[in-house]
Amino acid sequence: MTVAKPLPHDAALLHVTGQARYVDDIPAPVGTLHLAFGLSAVAHGRITGMDLDAVRAAPGVVAVLTAEDLPFANDVSPGAHDEPLLADGTVHYVGQPIFLVVAETHLAARKAARLGRITYEELPALLTIDQALAADSRFESGPRIWSRGDAAAAIAIAPRMIEGTMEIGGQEHFYLEGQAAFALPQENGDVVVQSSTQHPTEIQHKVAEALGLPMSGVRVEVRRMGGGFGGKESQGNALAVACAVAARATGRPCKMRYDRDDDMVITGKRHDFRISYRVGYDDQGRVQGIEFLHLVRCGWAMDLSLPVADRAMLHADNAYFLPHVRIESHRLRTNTQSATAFRGFGGPQGIVAVERVMDHIAHTLNRDPLEVRQANFYAPDGSQSTPYGMRVTDSIIGDLAARLAETSDYHARRRAVAEWNATNPVLKKGIALTPVKFGISFTLSHLNQAGALVHVYQDGSIHLNHGGTEMGQGLFQKVAQVAAAGFGVDISRVRISATDTGKVPNTSATAASSGSDLNGMAVKAAVDTIRQRLAEMLAQEHQCAPADVHFADDRVTVGGADYTFEEVIHRAYTQRISLSATGFYKTPDLSWDRIKGQGRPFFYFAYGAAVSEVVLDTLTGESRILRTDILHDVGASLNPALDIGQVEGGFVQGAGWLTTEELVWDDKGRLRTHAPSTYKIPACGDRPRVFNVALWDGPNRADTIYKSKAVGEPPFMHGISVLMALSDAVAACGPDYPALDGPATAERLLRAVRRQVGHEL
Amino acid sequence: MNITLRVNGESHDLDLDPRVSLLDALRHHLHLTGTKKGCDHGQCGACTVLLNGRRINACLTLACMHDGDDITTIEGIGADGLTPLQQAFIEHDGFQCGYCTPGQICSAVGMAEELRQGWPSHVTDDLTADPELTRDEIAERMSGNLCRCSCYPGIVNAIRQSLGEQA
Amino acid sequence: MYNFDFARPDTLQDAQAALRADDAQALGGGQTLIPTLKQRLAAPAILVSLTAIPELKGICLADDGRLCIGGATTHATVAREAAAHYPALAQLAGNIGDPAVRNRGTIGGSLANNDPSACYPAAVLASGATVITDRQEVAADDYFQGMFATALGEGEIITEVRFPVPQAANYQKFVQPASRFALVGVFVARFAHGVRVAVTGASEGGVFRWHKAEAALGDDFRAEALGDLAVEADGMIGDLHGTPEYRAHLVRVLTGRAVTAAA
Repeated sequence: MTVAKPLPHDAALLHVTGQARYVDDIPAPVGTLHLAFGLSAVAHGRITGMDLDAVRAAPGVVAVLTAEDLPFANDVSPGAHDEPLLADGTVHYVGQPIFLVVAETHLAARKAARLGRITYEELPALLTIDQALAADSRFESGPRIWSRGDAAAAIAIAPRMIEGTMEIGGQEHFYLEGQAAFALPQENGDVVVQSSTQHPTEIQHKVAEALGLPMSGVRVEVRRMGGGFGGKESQGNALAVACAVAARATGRPCKMRYDRDDDMVITGKRHDFRISYRVGYDDQGRVQGIEFLHLVRCGWAMDLSLPVADRAMLHADNAYFLPHVRIESHRLRTNTQSATAFRGFGGPQGIVAVERVMDHIAHTLNRDPLEVRQANFYAPDGSQSTPYGMRVTDSIIGDLAARLAETSDYHARRRAVAEWNATNPVLKKGIALTPVKFGISFTLSHLNQAGALVHVYQDGSIHLNHGGTEMGQGLFQKVAQVAAAGFGVDISRVRISATDTGKVPNTSATAASSGSDLNGMAVKAAVDTIRQRLAEMLAQEHQCAPADVHFADDRVTVGGADYTFEEVIHRAYTQRISLSATGFYKTPDLSWDRIKGQGRPFFYFAYGAAVSEVVLDTLTGESRILRTDILHDVGASLNPALDIGQVEGGFVQGAGWLTTEELVWDDKGRLRTHAPSTYKIPACGDRPRVFNVALWDGPNRADTIYKSKAVGEPPFMHGISVLMALSDAVAACGPDYPALDGPATAERLLRAVRRQVGHEL
Repeated sequence: MNITLRVNGESHDLDLDPRVSLLDALRHHLHLTGTKKGCDHGQCGACTVLLNGRRINACLTLACMHDGDDITTIEGIGADGLTPLQQAFIEHDGFQCGYCTPGQICSAVGMAEELRQGWPSHVTDDLTADPELTRDEIAERMSGNLCRCSCYPGIVNAIRQSLGEQA
Repeated sequence: MYNFDFARPDTLQDAQAALRADDAQALGGGQTLIPTLKQRLAAPAILVSLTAIPELKGICLADDGRLCIGGATTHATVAREAAAHYPALAQLAGNIGDPAVRNRGTIGGSLANNDPSACYPAAVLASGATVITDRQEVAADDYFQGMFATALGEGEIITEVRFPVPQAANYQKFVQPASRFALVGVFVARFAHGVRVAVTGASEGGVFRWHKAEAALGDDFRAEALGDLAVEADGMIGDLHGTPEYRAHLVRVLTGRAVTAAA
C-alpha cells in the first residue's frame, strides 16, 4: 500500500534544483503589465482630493484606476461585501489601497504609485481594543455569548476563585513568497488567473464579480504557494481582481506582487485578543465554573473574523471539561488591517487562555501544573461534552499526556529544574507540559465538501486533480498516495497537476487543516469509481464477483489471471469503458448553530501534547528553548515524514508567535513592524536545542481517509508549552504568579522578573 | 551600462540600468527564477547566491558591481546530477513550501566551503581552531536563511549529513 | 531608487577623482547603503564602489604593534584574520549580521555610516583606534559625532583603521533579534594606562564612552567594581525594540559581563 509511507514532497526534486515555479516565476508573455497600489496614509479619513496627474505622467505608466473606473463590483471581501478593492471615498486603515497603477515594469508602477497626492479630512481612528469598546465599534450587533449551566453561581460556591487578564498579540504570516497574481485575457472577455491563493474558487468568484462575468468565464489555476498559513485564504483577492480589471482595461496580461513592506502593511494578520477569566475551583484544581471574556481586534473589515472569533470560543475549553461555563466574545472593529485567517484560526488564542488558567490555578495551589491539567482532562469514556454540547467521544488526551510525561522524563526533569533554580541566581529554568485538543471541520458546515477529477490514460498513467492547494504542507503527495493506493500502483504513475477551477469546481479553501481529509476522500471516491468499472469488466470476463479482482503492486489479479495495470487499462479502453471520473465527498454528521453555540461542529478532534524546557537570563530577559518533546495524534498517518514536518514547523511557528513575533502600531495606526528587520520570525538557531517529535500510534475513530487525522493546525498550539515554561522560569524568581502576556519578548520577561523581586525596571 | 556577468559558468553581456540589483538581473534579465525574492532587504536569505564562491544576498548588491565576477545560482548546482547536499535535503525533508530552498542550498554550499577554508563563526569557541559541526554551529552559520515553514530540523540534518559525507 | 551613475575604480586615486563629482557617494559592501537607496532615503548622483581597490583591503600588524585594517576589508576577513592578534575584535566582526552580510559588508562602510546600532563603532571607540582617511588621521574620540554623523567630509574615503591592541578586551552584544544589529553592545578594553568602555546601540547620541565605568574599572578590573553604577535612561533610544529603561539596564549588565569575559 502506498499510504503510510514517508515519501518526500511531490516537488522535492524541483525545489532542490530551483525549478519549482511560483506565480512570479511563470514566464510572462511579452507586453505584460505590472501593477502597484497607491495606499492610504491615514488610519481613518474621508478622501477630499486625489491628484493623480503626476502618477499618470510618470515614465512607463499605462493606466491609473480609481474606484470610479471599476466596471462592476468594487469588492474583494470574502463575503460581507465591505471591502472595496479601491477605497470609495473613505479610508479605514493606513495601507488601504486607493488607486491602482498599471505600468510597463514593476518598478515603474511602484515609483509612480508614490507620486499620488491624496488629501483627507481625517476622522477619529479607533486603533485599540479599548477605543473600539468605548465607541461600541463592532461586527455583529452585540457580543456572542455561549454558556452551559450557571458559571457565576458555580464560581461563587467554589472553594477557591481567581481572575486574570491576558493580552495575546497578533502574528504576521510572513509566507516567504509574497502575495502574487497574474491575469491573462482570453477571447470573448474571459480571463485566466494564476494566483498564489489557498482559495481558487473565491478568486474565481471575486474576479467574476469584478468583471461582470459568470464564474464560467474565469479560470483560476494554482500550482503551489511559497507558504500560506491562512494568509492566502482571502488576502490574495485584491491582487487577482486588480490584475483582472487591469487586463480587461488594457487588453494586456497583468501581473501584481506586493513587495514585502507593502505585503505587511496591506494584508491582514492573526487577530490579537484580550481574554479575561474568572474561575472557581476546588483544592485539587478542578474547575467548577469559569467565565471568559474575549475581546477580539478584528480590524476594519469583517473578512473571516466571525468564524475566527467563534473558533476561539470553541477552543476555550481546549482539552478540559468545564462543567459550568460562560464565554462572551466581542468582535471589535478598528482602523487597522483587517485581521484574517492564520493557522489555528482563533483556536490558539482560545486555548492559550485556558492554559493560562490551568497554570494560574496550579500556582495558587502550589501544585505541579500537569496535575491540575490532568485533573481537568476530558474523560476517555465519552461521558462529557464540550461547552457547546458536543460529546467528546474520542478523548485520548489523558493517556497521551501520561505517555509523553513518561517518554520526556517530565517529573524527574521538573525536579532537576527546581534544583537548578535553587542554586543558580541568574539563569532560571522552567518546564511545562501543555495539551491540545483541536476540532476538525470548517465551522461553516457547508464548506466541508470537496471534489476530485481522475483520468487514467491509455498508457496507464494517471492524472490527478482535486480542489486542494499545495502550500508546502504536502497535500499533493498525500493525495497522490491515496490515488496510487486505490489503484494498487506505484506513486510514480500518478501525475499531480495544478489546482484548477476548470477541472474541479466549487471548492472550499485549503484551510481548517481539512486538505487531506476532504480531498483525499474525494480522490478516493473518483479512484473507486474507475476501479469499480475495471473490476466489473474483468469480473465479467472471468465469471466472478468484482470484489474478487485485486489491484496491487502495479498488477491486477482475478481468478488465476494476472495482468499488468497497463494491460487492464488498454483492455478497458478498447472495450470503451470510461477511464475518467469525478469524486465528491462531504463530511458526515455535522450540525451547528453558531448563534446558540450548540451542536456538533466538528467531525472529530485531533490531540497532542508538548513538553518544553527553557532557560531564562534574569538579567537581560533573553531565553532559549533547551528541549521540546512532542507527542502528536495524526491518527493512522498517511505520510509520517510529512506529518512530522508539520508538527515541527507548527510548533516553531507557535513558539515564535508567543515569544519574538511582536507587531507594533504607532498612535497614528501605522504598522511599525513591516519588514523582517523589525519583525522577528524564528531562525535556525531558535528551534529547541533538543527536539523530539513522535506520532501517537492510534487510528482515528472517525471514518476518515485511511483513518488519518488532519495535521496542519493542531501542532501550532504546542508552542504554548514554551510560554508556560517561561512563566515557570519567571515564577522561580519570586512569590507571584507571573501572568505573562504574549509575546513574551525579552523586555517583557525582564520586567516580569523585576516585578518578582520588587524592582520595577 | 554594459557589464559581463559569468553565471553558472556562462558569460552574459548585459546592458543594465545601474540600479538593477543582482537579484533582478538574474530573475528578469537572465530568466533564472530559481533565486527567490523573499524580502528584497537582505534579511531573509531567499536570494542567496555564490559570488566567486562566497555566499551573498543577491538583493543587497547591484549587478553593475559584479562586472566580470563569477556567480553561481541554484540552477548551477547539481545541473549534472544532484549533489549529495541536494539529495540530503530531499531525504531529510529540508523544506515544505520550498520557497527558501534554493537560498538554503546555495548558503549551505557556501558554508561548506567556508568551513573547508577554516572561516570562523562567533559560536566557534576557539577562534583559531577548526570549527566543529555542532548543531549550534550550523544554526549560526545558517542564521541568514529564514524558513517560515520552520523546517530547520530537516535543513540542519541534511547539511550535517552532506558535510559528513564530504569529510 | 533614484537614478545614479556607477563607477568602480581600481585605484584610490581614481576613486578620489570620481568622488569629486557633485553628490557622489562612496559605496563599500552596500549592505546598508543599498537598502537605504531602495527606500529612497539617499539620492546620490554617482555611486563609487570601493570594493575593487586592492590597497584598501587586508589586515596587518604594524611595527608599533597596532592592528591595521584596510577600509574595504570585509567583516568575514576581519573575523578570520584578526583572530590571532585581537580576538575580541575578530569575535565582534564574526557576529555582525549574518554570514552573507559579513561576506560583503566592510569596516570602512560601517564606520562611514555610523549607524547608532552598528557594532564596529564600539570597538573603534573602546580601542582608541585611529581612523585614517585619504585626507586625515582622526582619533576615535573625535571621529564619532552622533547618530550617522562623523568627522568625514564630502567624498572622503576611509583607507584604514589602526587599532591599538589592548591587554584584555571583550564585546558583549544584545541583538535586536530581527535585524541582528545591537540593541545594546558594550566593548570593554583594558590597556596598561587604563580601561575604555564604549557603548553602541543604546544612546540617541550614537556610540559613547561610559567614563564612570572606565574610572571604576581602571582601579579594579572586575565586574564587581561597577557596584551600582548605572547609565541614565534619559537620552537612551526608545523604540519598538526596547524602552530607554531597558537599554540603560542592559548597558550595565553587558558591561559587567564584558569585564568578566575579558578578565
